[in-house]
Amino acid sequence: MSEAVAGRYFFPGTTRFVAARAVAEGDILRVEDESGTVLAHVALELVEISPRLGTLRRRFTFMDAGCFETEDSDAADCLLMGKRKGVSAHHLERSWQWAAVSVLFAAAAMFAFVVYGIPGIALWLAQETPPSFAATLSEQTLATLDKTVLKPSALPSPDRLRVEALFARAAGHGRRGAGHYKLLLRSAASLGPNALALPDGTIVMTDQLWPFVKADDEAIGVFAHEIAHVDHAHSLQAVYQAALVPAAIAVVTGDISQISQMAAILPGVLIQAAYSRGLEQQADDDAAMTVRQLGGNPAHMADLLERLDTKLCGKAGCPANWLGTHPQTAARAAHLRNAGTK
Amino acid sequence: MDDIVVRPLSPAGDKQLHRFEFRGSGGEFFRIWIVNIALSLVTLGIYSAWAKVRTRRYFYGNTFVAGHGFDYHASPVRILIGRIIALALFGVYNLLLGISPFALIPAMVLLGAAIPWFIVSSRRFNARNTSYRNVRFNFSGTYGGAFKAYIAWPFAGALTLGGLMPLAHRAQDYYYINNHAFGGKRFATVFPGWSIYKVYLLALLLFLGLVVGTLAFLLLLSPFADSAGGFGAGVSFAGMIAILIIMPGWLIIVNYVRAAGLVLALENTALDNRHTLQSEIEPGSLVWIMTSNVFLILITFGLFYPWARVRAAHYMADHLSLLAASNLDEFTSETFATQGAIGEEIAGFFDYDIGL
Repeated sequence: MSEAVAGRYFFPGTTRFVAARAVAEGDILRVEDESGTVLAHVALELVEISPRLGTLRRRFTFMDAGCFETEDSDAADCLLMGKRKGVSAHHLERSWQWAAVSVLFAAAAMFAFVVYGIPGIALWLAQETPPSFAATLSEQTLATLDKTVLKPSALPSPDRLRVEALFARAAGHGRRGAGHYKLLLRSAASLGPNALALPDGTIVMTDQLWPFVKADDEAIGVFAHEIAHVDHAHSLQAVYQAALVPAAIAVVTGDISQISQMAAILPGVLIQAAYSRGLEQQADDDAAMTVRQLGGNPAHMADLLERLDTKLCGKAGCPANWLGTHPQTAARAAHLRNAGTK
Repeated sequence: MDDIVVRPLSPAGDKQLHRFEFRGSGGEFFRIWIVNIALSLVTLGIYSAWAKVRTRRYFYGNTFVAGHGFDYHASPVRILIGRIIALALFGVYNLLLGISPFALIPAMVLLGAAIPWFIVSSRRFNARNTSYRNVRFNFSGTYGGAFKAYIAWPFAGALTLGGLMPLAHRAQDYYYINNHAFGGKRFATVFPGWSIYKVYLLALLLFLGLVVGTLAFLLLLSPFADSAGGFGAGVSFAGMIAILIIMPGWLIIVNYVRAAGLVLALENTALDNRHTLQSEIEPGSLVWIMTSNVFLILITFGLFYPWARVRAAHYMADHLSLLAASNLDEFTSETFATQGAIGEEIAGFFDYDIGL
């Protein structure tokens, strides 16, 4: 017979309770009130016992919906001595050492997941996505853009021919082969000087970019950059990254509460911006390679970037930006010039 | 029972005022939280269902009123299944939105049809898995009721350009609280429409102030501001500044509406028309706690999170009391088996907790 454990007994299915004590006799748990009247007499294996958690009271629930609870968690464990086996999470949760280990492990795991896991999964998904899907996606995006920001191109014929010739040179170095890329010229005052790639190989250049182009290598560089986006399925990767980041945050923060949701917004945005900069970097590297293979100098791409930057932000250039989808222009330009000297 | 405070000034002679109390501590919860995160990561997210149950048990179990704590009984396996379903839906939804703006409309329609069902099943799951003094809570809201409160009312709010939004907020509070019961006795809250309009009016003024302030800031920065580009620079510097002002401002406004709405609903809540809640929660203090918590979490890379949760729980409990008309001995468990076996099975199958 074990020591008696003090607590409270709740009558089946009611809020009514009395002060009580529990005693284990072999495999039987007996609960009695202070005068010794037996309230419950049950085989221990039929009792549902709440796992230990912090300094929380323990609850013994009987099959008739009566229950005994005690603040004395150690004594409750003694009652169960040898009856319930298994490692309890409480052993880890009670120790500051394990907490410290957990902090380090969680930080390392999250870092690895953000840096390698999500981009890796997104890349894999993008590669597994059928081309027909990319085609539908591109058609819909183009239709939306044509309805909203894009207008027919107003570029004069000689310019148009030259642009198309330069595009053909860049496209010849694309991984899919020259015939799989298509250039569309559009006017877009709201987008400004710009070029963009759709996953099916369609590349849109705005009229507004053309006046900024001073050398052939600059235009080839822009096209090669957009072709790299197509070759690596960057827009699909971005779609998958955007879906994975909030899902990952939801899983890791565990209990989804208002506080954690709000606090997760900013990190989520920063992580996605960082992914986008990574993809842009890759497109720049590929473009520099194409320009060099065509006998040109990637440094010209840097010139164009700086010209656009000056147009956007004035002589001083655009300031550093954590939320930017592209790396900072100075860094991109330096990187491209470096590629030019190799 | 030593924490019962009998106030000489209590309005009814034989009523007793019991203060709520939260007995958890940040340090203790920190260890539970971080160990659970590590275990969730090791098990690729599977343990997160057990983590959720432990977290809930910790907060419910440490919340006391009239000398007794609450208990949470959910089965982690059911939560795990609910999580897998929720995560799949969440992923598909985000994917659809990322793929095509045209998917927005069908996605919204599907979500609109599913949301009331998520709300009903998750509320019922949580209520039935929560007990106080060995008696379970219950939630008896219907799909139709949830559709009205969470889809129809907000839709009407949007159609009237926000004019009916405060009433939508009240409809949701009514749906939530008035469908809860304890030991077969119902909770009820009633408050006049103008009181919730007052909350939204102040929120609107705060919002206008935020807009004017941000615009003024942008005008000062206009020499730097210009459009964003695809091949060129990304989000512009001015845009970044605007986000840095708007985000905290918006956080404060959202928290204010939540806090003030909560106070209104709570201080008008009664159980069985006899036991009433009394709130001394100041919306301003709650906004301060919630907003500063978000910033402390951000600057500590998330490590402050457990203390943030405990801090909010302490404030809520310390400023809430139950004015009880009896010694609370009279409650007996409802039997939930009234739906018949088949209905029970179907309800059981769909009763998974979806984290909304």
